[in-house]
Amino acid sequence: MKLKDVLSPLRVWERAAKKPMTIKDPINERPGAANYRGFHKNDFSKCIGCGTCEEICQNDAIDLVPVEGQETVEGDSGLRPMIDYGRCCWCALCVDVCPTGALTMSNDYTWIADNPEDYRFVPGADKTKWQESEKGYTRSPDIQIIDYDRVDMQELKPEERDKSFIEIVKGYNKEQAMKEAERCLECGLCIATCPAHMDIPGYIAAIRDDDLDNALRILYETNPMPEICGRICTHKCETACALHNNGDPLAIRWLKRYIVDQVPADKYSEILGTDHLEDEVLNRKVAIIGAGPAGLSAAYYLAIMGYKTKVYEALPGPGGMARYGIPEYRLPYDQIDKDIDYIRSLGVEIQFNTRVGTDITLEELHSSYDAVFAGTGLHLGRSTRVPGSDNKRVYFATDLLREVTLGNEIDVAKNIVVIGGGNVAMDITRTLARLQNQKYGKVQILTTCLETEDIMPADVEEIVEAREEKAVIDPGWGPKEIEIRDGEVYGLHVVKCLSVFDENGRFSPKFDEEQKKFFKADMVVESIGQGMDLSYLSENIKSNLKFTPRGRIEVDDNFQSSLQWLFVGGDIIQGPDVIHGIANGYIAAKGIDTYLNRK
Amino acid sequence: MEQLVKRINGMIHLKAYNRQRDDLFFITVEKSQLELVLSHLKNNEGFTHLAFLQAVDFLEDSKFQLTYMLYNYDIRVNLGVKVLIGRDKAEMTSIHKLWAHAWQYQRELHELFGINFPGSPRVEESFVLEGWEEMPPMRRDFDTKEYSERTFYQRPGRSTNDPKEYMKEKMYKNYAASPRIRRDDE
Repeated sequence: MKLKDVLSPLRVWERAAKKPMTIKDPINERPGAANYRGFHKNDFSKCIGCGTCEEICQNDAIDLVPVEGQETVEGDSGLRPMIDYGRCCWCALCVDVCPTGALTMSNDYTWIADNPEDYRFVPGADKTKWQESEKGYTRSPDIQIIDYDRVDMQELKPEERDKSFIEIVKGYNKEQAMKEAERCLECGLCIATCPAHMDIPGYIAAIRDDDLDNALRILYETNPMPEICGRICTHKCETACALHNNGDPLAIRWLKRYIVDQVPADKYSEILGTDHLEDEVLNRKVAIIGAGPAGLSAAYYLAIMGYKTKVYEALPGPGGMARYGIPEYRLPYDQIDKDIDYIRSLGVEIQFNTRVGTDITLEELHSSYDAVFAGTGLHLGRSTRVPGSDNKRVYFATDLLREVTLGNEIDVAKNIVVIGGGNVAMDITRTLARLQNQKYGKVQILTTCLETEDIMPADVEEIVEAREEKAVIDPGWGPKEIEIRDGEVYGLHVVKCLSVFDENGRFSPKFDEEQKKFFKADMVVESIGQGMDLSYLSENIKSNLKFTPRGRIEVDDNFQSSLQWLFVGGDIIQGPDVIHGIANGYIAAKGIDTYLNRK
Repeated sequence: MEQLVKRINGMIHLKAYNRQRDDLFFITVEKSQLELVLSHLKNNEGFTHLAFLQAVDFLEDSKFQLTYMLYNYDIRVNLGVKVLIGRDKAEMTSIHKLWAHAWQYQRELHELFGINFPGSPRVEESFVLEGWEEMPPMRRDFDTKEYSERTFYQRPGRSTNDPKEYMKEKMYKNYAASPRIRRDDE
């Protein structure tokens, strides 16, 4: 051994008394990059608990759990993602896919805890030091895993439609429907919002699989009027669609229409398994008053449960408001008939031109049937009761729409004013515009309402399309007086409406009497709401029936009234719209079944 | 660069040329001509640096796309040379003789995509996945979720909720199943 080898190790002592070359780091913070994919954050004001993050996670690291303080409401399941950091690999797919942009990442990457369970946490609920951090990874706008753009719907152009009642919306073809169906995330948030709780992701998945038979079966589970709903449903489901937070919601209504438009009527009974229904008939009878959506829905579900049902209808055709209230360009009669003919094919009998209360009494129905369902709808117009509104040239929208469907000629004036801002007002405006166009070759109709345009109850597309058809919409005015000269309507005086509702949300319009306008007209149509006609209830029945403080018949969860044999549903109870009627009829049918089996 | 493209086109048939930025260009060449083009670019055109080599899996077309990213220090231009190769029994000429460090990239691609580079040093050795016995994980038909479920045990006590079912339970529990056709004997 050389001397050097012995001495060399001692050289380390050479610096023993000197300042160390190394420093006592890491002491300073070392923040992640500004877009670092660190620990998760969740903005609860945006999160809707759709579970798409859980669905996409390749490591199975996410669970959806209830969180205190998060309510389950329409459009929000109230569930929130819990992430297991034992499995997460911070790939950020959950952030990239999040349809609302609620889930993001901070640039924080250090976390020390003694208990391994701590590393399973709910971002946004559990207190973390990075929840408020502004840095970290968020989805950049040019990354789009989700397709936020709806497949456009083909429609007739204004000049192709403004003289006729041909259906405007053309419907999706197969390619378009499948492309639209592809966009569905299958979170199912829409189901709770649909009054009939239809299995929307189920039938959309069936469209994707091109299995329309199965899609039809899913539709009929809770809705026997898909052609009607596929066209004119208020489609509240679409407002609950997860995609609606950042883009176009799924075209749920049009997809439903696509299914029924494709399946021919003569295949229904085979697909739905009702081709041998006559073997199953029970010896129980139910009478239905009104062949509208509520009554026919009840009739359908009663029929497939084996009940004999007979529907009494005052008008000469079936469909109720769907036929006599909604114009043909939105809902063609042959499509209404497709739905209803199938229901009739199950043995549901409809007796037309029979008004209960005059042609046959409710007592008679009670004595000859085991139960009665009344879905008589809102067919009476409501008046503004301003001076002049009693003139013969002042009409109710519902009456005129009914006359159009009945094929009766309407004495259309050259210059018309419509009062009302809802969909019925748009229906009558656009109907009369067409009739004016046919009769005079030009449109001169003005529609006014209390509400300003931003709070008009009508659908936006209805307002846009009415204008395209050359109707004038001038919202934000309150009717003051219909001026009559020599017994004829001369025009409508209005004053500026400042607000419609009071601070409690109650109807209490306030006006500025100084701001006035005058709309010249020789015909005025009122469309400010509809009322119910309960004249079929005799005094005896009325006195035994319980009513709500607002004058509606009181019903329980099964739509059973205080008279056990009488079930009531549809617009006179809930809505008004078709889908509530269908849902009411469905529940009432099951309620009647329970009631009759208990009896 | 246009001149350069012309010169290369004089040598071989260029399948595509695209200018992404002033300092970033891509050309696409035939598989058989890749080595020729690369060596020309390195020896005659000043693209002396191989910055990286990577792959993209075009599963639907049954192809891998390889991109050789070169850099020219004199004119400060990046040039990506792309080549499409078949996905089944994927194999590509090794370029470790042009750029010695290419063996490391090739070893990586062999492991993650299953692309073979015959003759490339140590190409069969593990790169980052020691003991990996599955399909190469960057192939798009590798089911990450299935692998993860199979390989990593679930922490006890975990449970999840389906939003659809949860909302039904909370909001419309009584809206039970659809009525069915009932028989008299029921």
